[in-house]
Amino acid sequence: MKDFTQELNEETIGLQTEELTINMGPQHPSTHGVLRVVVKSDGEIIRAAYPDIGYLHRCFEKHTERREYIQGIPFTSRMDYVAAMSQELGYVLAIEKLLGLEIPERAQAIRVVISELQRIASHLLSVGTYGLDMGGFTPFLYAFRDREKILRIFEEICGARLLYNYMRPGGVSRDLTPGVIDKIKDFTKYFPSQLDEMNDLLTNNSIFISRTAHIGVITADQAISYGLSGPNLRGSGFNWDLRKDNPYSGYEKYDFDVCLGLAEKGEIGDCWNRYYVRVKEMYESIKIITQVVESLPAGEHTAKAPKSPKPVGEIYMETECPRGTLGYHIVADGGKKPWRVKAKSPCFIVTSTMDEMCRGMMLADVVAYLGSIDIVLGEVDR
Amino acid sequence: MSAFKEYFQNINDAVVSTYKGMMVTLRAFLKTQGFRKVKNGYDYGAGPVTISYPEVKDDIPLSSRNRLFMHQEGCISCNQCAVICPVECITIESRKKTVEEDDGSKTPAHFGSKPLKLKLLRFDIDEALCCFCGLCTEVCPTECLVHTPEYEYSKYDRDNLIYDYLNFSDENPLPEG
Repeated sequence: MKDFTQELNEETIGLQTEELTINMGPQHPSTHGVLRVVVKSDGEIIRAAYPDIGYLHRCFEKHTERREYIQGIPFTSRMDYVAAMSQELGYVLAIEKLLGLEIPERAQAIRVVISELQRIASHLLSVGTYGLDMGGFTPFLYAFRDREKILRIFEEICGARLLYNYMRPGGVSRDLTPGVIDKIKDFTKYFPSQLDEMNDLLTNNSIFISRTAHIGVITADQAISYGLSGPNLRGSGFNWDLRKDNPYSGYEKYDFDVCLGLAEKGEIGDCWNRYYVRVKEMYESIKIITQVVESLPAGEHTAKAPKSPKPVGEIYMETECPRGTLGYHIVADGGKKPWRVKAKSPCFIVTSTMDEMCRGMMLADVVAYLGSIDIVLGEVDR
Repeated sequence: MSAFKEYFQNINDAVVSTYKGMMVTLRAFLKTQGFRKVKNGYDYGAGPVTISYPEVKDDIPLSSRNRLFMHQEGCISCNQCAVICPVECITIESRKKTVEEDDGSKTPAHFGSKPLKLKLLRFDIDEALCCFCGLCTEVCPTECLVHTPEYEYSKYDRDNLIYDYLNFSDENPLPEG
């Protein structure tokens, strides 16, 4: 990243400047929720940026401790409301591991289809709103048009468009009907061409590239030291994907590539590469969905699981959510309710990089950085 | 020299890539032949995809989870829905039937023909609290408590969202789901 400080000091030698504190948010359209960033700026240059979180804190961890295990699932889906299926999956996988349940193959396959569809929906929102942040309105509408198709499929599968409550310990709440499978197949045929359109419209657009390339560079070392995960880590060129490295729910059976930031434009770890990792991941998700749907095993959609499970023990289960590694730490004492539930959120971690990354940046680039790390404040605050 | 070249290269890139993007939108624009009526979200046809909501209603799936409806004749007052509800929006009151009242009646066949041993005194659902998770409909043994695809039921007062499923009349109707 270019350091404008030196250049500017030479130009304005002898001039007195004063640091200005700007409040960005909590009701700022580009903060993707209710994030407040206290920005100390010297003219256009950021000296410090303190993210202030907690505006969407709804005590979900505490709520989950006060309720039975199954009653906790609706709360997990409200954490990251853009990728609710993936959030539920991690929670039920943790409970299943505690109970030692065997999951039928069909249920596992359904879970893979669902969470990959959810990944596409989540990335479409991220990509579309990133275009919106950078001043392009059309990509946003195109992305939402395609996301709508996925939400319709979800509505038919489980009855809700956003907050699904579909996963259960032992499987899923409803089976996929042949009609829905046809609709998923239609979508996999339809979607890649739309993604190519998105590349023409936004990814390779020269104006978009000059807004995002070489901005907010997170090196691989920095990314690891912060503990980033998901597209933010892979955008920095580090090959780490739990679907490959620690497979769950039968991901090892399917053939797909881990997408990394390869500096097609800009440099590795900048905003453009993080954005482009998401676009590439959508192609891979389509690949996985096609494979699963072609060979969807017959059988039960749920295992025989107790109605109100009473597991004993301690577990940490992490899954690869669209935004990164989401971990659930559950301490169970044998009662109906968990003793402690802790969610390790990828968005919370990446929010903490803001101060270091934004120093020396121009003010308008903060928006570019915030959009590229793709945070959902519901998950940051929980 | 290289800076000179880069300058024109940049202009060329900008023009070419913007032209590409504009062609995408132009193609989409040319496909709009008149005002197409969009029926539902699965419409993969070209052209407008917006459903002009109040005039055209999306035909949402029957499995959609929206407002709850309780079929009074099917409830056996087992209290399972009230127990499983994560937000405690269901209030049920019941008492044991007296000897005179106990006529061995059962729920209708499509609600499972279960014996009605308790007398249901109150069945309120606060729809303002409901989080539409669908857990109550799953545990219901007679499947008399269901989510309906009905989603237009906003009220001016929050108290009007408390649905009393045992006493509804013409003045205080509950639309069928």
